[in-house]
Amino acid sequence: MSDKIINPSVPTLGSLTINDSSTSGFGYNPSVGPSSNAITKETSSALLNKRAVLTPTSSNSIYDRSLSTKKSQGISVSSLAFLFCEIVSWARRLSNSILDLENRLNGLGYLIGQKYLELVKLREGMKYGKRENKILEILQFIHGPLWRAIFGRTANDLEKSQDVDDEYMIIDNTPLISKFISIPKDYGNLNCSAFVAGMIEGALDLSGFHAHVVAHSSPIEGLPQRTVFLIKFDPLLFTRENIHFS
Amino acid sequence: MRIFSLYILNKAGGLVFQKDVNPGIAKLTANDYLVLAGTLHSVHAIATNLKPAECRSLNETAQTVNGQILSSGKASTPNVNNLGLQHVDTDYFSLYVFQTLTGIKFVLVTSPVAKQDHSHESPLSTKGELRKQYELVEEYFKQLYVLYCDYVMKDPFYSTDMPIKSTLFEAKIKSVCEA
Amino acid sequence: MGYNIGMRLIEEFLAKTGAQRCESFRETADMISKVGFKMFLNTVPQIENFSSDGTSFSLILTENPLAEFVELPLTQYPKIHKELWYSQLYCGVLRGALQMVQLDTDVYFVRDSIRGDDKTEIRLKLNKVLKDEIPAGED
Repeated sequence: MSDKIINPSVPTLGSLTINDSSTSGFGYNPSVGPSSNAITKETSSALLNKRAVLTPTSSNSIYDRSLSTKKSQGISVSSLAFLFCEIVSWARRLSNSILDLENRLNGLGYLIGQKYLELVKLREGMKYGKRENKILEILQFIHGPLWRAIFGRTANDLEKSQDVDDEYMIIDNTPLISKFISIPKDYGNLNCSAFVAGMIEGALDLSGFHAHVVAHSSPIEGLPQRTVFLIKFDPLLFTRENIHFS
Repeated sequence: MRIFSLYILNKAGGLVFQKDVNPGIAKLTANDYLVLAGTLHSVHAIATNLKPAECRSLNETAQTVNGQILSSGKASTPNVNNLGLQHVDTDYFSLYVFQTLTGIKFVLVTSPVAKQDHSHESPLSTKGELRKQYELVEEYFKQLYVLYCDYVMKDPFYSTDMPIKSTLFEAKIKSVCEA
Repeated sequence: MGYNIGMRLIEEFLAKTGAQRCESFRETADMISKVGFKMFLNTVPQIENFSSDGTSFSLILTENPLAEFVELPLTQYPKIHKELWYSQLYCGVLRGALQMVQLDTDVYFVRDSIRGDDKTEIRLKLNKVLKDEIPAGED
């Protein structure tokens, strides 16, 4: 079995295999699940001498806190903007092309999207007692509750592409994280909301809807930062829907 | 009052931004703007040396300001240009220089202070007009500084002390200054 | 990373507060904790342990938004929970911001509660005031 691991569909995580957990030792590896605190030969001795190291049982550990309460003291948008600004320039220093930069931002958002999906689902308490299993349902969930949890409001619009069957669009008139960012002319159509596109992609992938999400700027009068998140679903999903629901 | 143009100078006196926000002032060549900025910067610096022989420091004010911010949380003006060149008045324009604690200068060129009929007004009232306009411009400066923080400082494609190219910043400046 | 953030962040701090140059490092400490941290991170760290010459002090963070959801993992690499200062970013931010107002400082972590310490403590040490670099025009 072990040589037939199904890798996640996304290139950023695609290179991970089950063997990676032993080399990195921590973090989330989707092909094996959470492995961060696995008891291995190396960590068991640390666990036995609990006092010497920080363990999940340390005082005021996050594991002791309730997951469902929405306690958040909030920080200013500026702090977030400064941090994001630095993340972008850091990614820019490492990347060798605009596409590469966009992929890096996408990859960073991807992990956050996955985690946020789980958290929002949990806090929602599985409202309808089932998970979304239709494309339209999951899109509405992302456009509504997920967006509200992350950005404090729902996205401005959800549209289906008129030309192409497997494409949908989520539209944000005033994207929060790229609010202050002007793209220089020589950066073409780069959009730093690629980060958010990655979040959408992560959330979709985790819920079983494999898609590719790209952020496009499409300014209109009065809304210079308007951004369209173009979601292109795996064609197999439509076959699945046809079989299940028709 | 109408704002004609805005100049932003970095710490070293280099021009990083120049924009005519409202028509009404003749254009100069790009080089002239740089020279103008450099000259202003030097004149400003020299002017700081012109002071009474027995210079009484006004530093207590700085401390009371900080004390007030701490106790009341109320913001005060970010302008620290106390000793240097503050403004220039001519028949055709007025020029104001503001400086931040980090050494960035905002220079605003505006229409001159409204001329008054001096025959039946005391000279004092003109002084009032000057003061009024100065305070008005200072308000603009505050807004522009905040815009600078938002759209220049938070832009990952801006490198410190280099010319500002942000289109968003330009658009915002325009909407603030357009009269 | 933090240093770059600090260099930019100071502008916003000055623009929104209009703070003037501080007379003493004590005043700087107050400004950092009661205005700076409040403004950007919505928390007010306590100032403790001022050295007798007034050139260094500690900020005690009761809340740390950066590490609110973080638990250092237990791995075969002891370095992660022994040597990693997870919130080192703050040090850079403080150092960068102070540098821009001509204060040359050293900023470092002393303790961090996510490592299991009882408090989170950042130490700030003033090396010198860069008098020559203060822009002309101030009083």
